[in-house]
Amino acid sequence: MMELSRFKNKIISKIITRYPSLAKRFIDAYDPWSSPDIPWTPVVKPLTNSRIAVVTTAGVHHRDQEPFDMKDRDGDPSFRAVDLRRPLASLMITHDYYDHADADRDLNVVFPVERLREFAREGFLGSVADMHYGFMGHITGRHIPTLIEKIAPEVASRLKQDNVDVVLLTPG
Amino acid sequence: MGLIQREIEKAGIPTIGVSIVRKYSEKVKPPRTVYLRWPFGHPLGEPFNIAQQRVVLAEALAALRAIQTPGTIIDLPYRWRREKYKDEDFRLILSHASKQGL
Repeated sequence: MMELSRFKNKIISKIITRYPSLAKRFIDAYDPWSSPDIPWTPVVKPLTNSRIAVVTTAGVHHRDQEPFDMKDRDGDPSFRAVDLRRPLASLMITHDYYDHADADRDLNVVFPVERLREFAREGFLGSVADMHYGFMGHITGRHIPTLIEKIAPEVASRLKQDNVDVVLLTPG
Repeated sequence: MGLIQREIEKAGIPTIGVSIVRKYSEKVKPPRTVYLRWPFGHPLGEPFNIAQQRVVLAEALAALRAIQTPGTIIDLPYRWRREKYKDEDFRLILSHASKQGL
């Protein structure tokens, strides 16, 4: 069932790429949420031994990285790798679709890495990964197949390579 | 957010999402969700409210083990700006979770 839906997504994204004029029809008909199956990986490791990473759709990125594209009405499906070995002050938010005034004052409101570090220091968590990932949440239309088929799996494989055991997702 | 969460889970890493739009989570069906009826831009709560942010995190971590059925959404009971959070609240949540094997 899962394979079939992935196959369908791949075909659709190819058709849309090749025939841009058809894109709108496919987007209108395309329901990314029609899949009845829900992915599942059981939790086996205790938290006290787990490495955690955060993936946020709140638009978080380093100041010297390219900001998310706010002009595209379908959003920006790309991600920014956030390196926690750099100071937190090097981070900022680009996201026009929610009010991030509070998050600008305290990033933990959307990207709670200081709280996670405290949990790790106090022994509730094994460790906090160095690399985390920022997305811009307002992704629709033609970017959804790109996100599902290409970009999200790439982030997933980076997290796997980094031996991350648990991922926390936060919105904007 | 849920679409990305699903792909990470599919790749073999357990995930937990904090949601502030229940309808979206119901549609997208990520594997595990804790839901808060809080305003956009505040999934962990208010700036510099460390006790509050820790409670949300503790609830999210506890839900990782508590949720056994894919697609479950746990409605957290905390009201926006009408709760008082104590420093030890998150410890109770985590110690309760650890008694259940987390």
